[in-house]
Amino acid sequence: MSTCLKHLGMAMLAAASVMVTAQTASAESTLDKILSAKKIRVAIDVANPPFGVLDKSGQPDGSDVAVARQLAKDLGAEIEFVQVPSTGRIPALLAGRADVTIASISVTTDRAKAVMYCNPNGALSITIFAPQSVKLKTPADLVGKRVGITRATLEEATVPKMAPEGTKIVWFDDLASTVQALLSGQVDAAAMTAFAEKTVADANPGKHLENKLLVTTAFYGPIVRPGDFELRQWINTWIFINTNNGTLAAIYKKYTGIDLPPLPTF
Amino acid sequence: MHYAFHFNVVWDHWRELAEGALLTIRLSALAMMIGLVVATVCAYGKAAGPSAIRWAIAAYVELIRNTPFLVQIFIIYFSLPALGISVDANEAALAAMVVNFGAYGTEILRAGIESIGHGQIDAARALGLTRLQTFRYVVLFPALKTVFPALASQFILLMLASSVVSAISAVELTAITNSLQSTTFRPFEFYFVATGLYLGMALGFRAVLGGVYWMVFVRGQRS
Repeated sequence: MSTCLKHLGMAMLAAASVMVTAQTASAESTLDKILSAKKIRVAIDVANPPFGVLDKSGQPDGSDVAVARQLAKDLGAEIEFVQVPSTGRIPALLAGRADVTIASISVTTDRAKAVMYCNPNGALSITIFAPQSVKLKTPADLVGKRVGITRATLEEATVPKMAPEGTKIVWFDDLASTVQALLSGQVDAAAMTAFAEKTVADANPGKHLENKLLVTTAFYGPIVRPGDFELRQWINTWIFINTNNGTLAAIYKKYTGIDLPPLPTF
Repeated sequence: MHYAFHFNVVWDHWRELAEGALLTIRLSALAMMIGLVVATVCAYGKAAGPSAIRWAIAAYVELIRNTPFLVQIFIIYFSLPALGISVDANEAALAAMVVNFGAYGTEILRAGIESIGHGQIDAARALGLTRLQTFRYVVLFPALKTVFPALASQFILLMLASSVVSAISAVELTAITNSLQSTTFRPFEFYFVATGLYLGMALGFRAVLGGVYWMVFVRGQRS
């Protein structure tokens, strides 16, 4: 009897020590946490039409939001949106307030130094637009003009590089302020995605806003924290499946009105 | 959670941060000086003006004290061009800060003015001082002395609130910090340093205002 108890005790000790070793060897990954809590926190920017907007009842909507909802559904997790301004898309992720940011973040080598990109799930182009009356045919025409851009966007990374010396670049914290500055005449022209431009032009027909210059075309994708390889791999798998079954193309077409270009992978 | 701090990035941009802090200091100090003049005029108008002026000043004070500063800034920056007045972001920011500090200052000064005994004013008038002279020598000076700590606190609040003028593209400390964090992707480093700079500026302003109080109200009255 006593040897039996002794054996049992030793077995329990051994099992306990194995469990401790296992836990120290691999801390729970972000993907594990999402799966065990059945909840994923997604950072989105709802001031960036048509990717992220608030619908008439104040609920998040847009192509990024639709992608995030579908992703959470397929993951079997409840979604919790973390609404951030464009400047907060990377900080919110790094601070651990969100597990993933799905906010049409264009892939750039600089951003990849801070966060890990998943494969692209969409494409956008940045253009400069202005009222009809503003003469703007080549980048050289930007000299002496005030051009509004939004911080922490692809515009901020590209427009200052293409604009010749003498261009007055004016930075705003969110797209809404950049648009308001253009509409109120505080800037002569503004840079944003071609889609945002169309939304603004359609909503303000009296301003006669038109597309003037193409700045760049880029692919965007979800981002995760450095080291979250398991989550990134799952999202990449999800993007692979939903590229092939047409879900991503359907969402993109629904919100942007154009066909999704072929998505590269890396 | 794991995050590797790289504060050397901040050092590479110390000149931009210093320029941002300098604009914060200049905007705040200018807004305080002009705002104090506005507050004094309004406090006088509220204490001694005809009822129409008293009502107008009361409306101004209540309007500003009961609406968000950010909204006031947006209204000044985005609506003035529609009236044909062109203001750049820094001018709009300064105007908004003056208007804001003026309203709070009026209310603070009013409290100081009400603390002056009526007998003092009657005595001054009996001695042959005009209304304006009475206000300046008998009412304003002691009133300012009484409410100086409250004014100093309000000024520090104004300096900290100036961080929201980055929303209209004024390039003060918060705007610079936001630009730098969004181009270097080092948010924590830059926000920590900005926090330190704001703290330093607030303590610096407090010390300067303490010095002003001593020079004007302590030493000045002794001699």
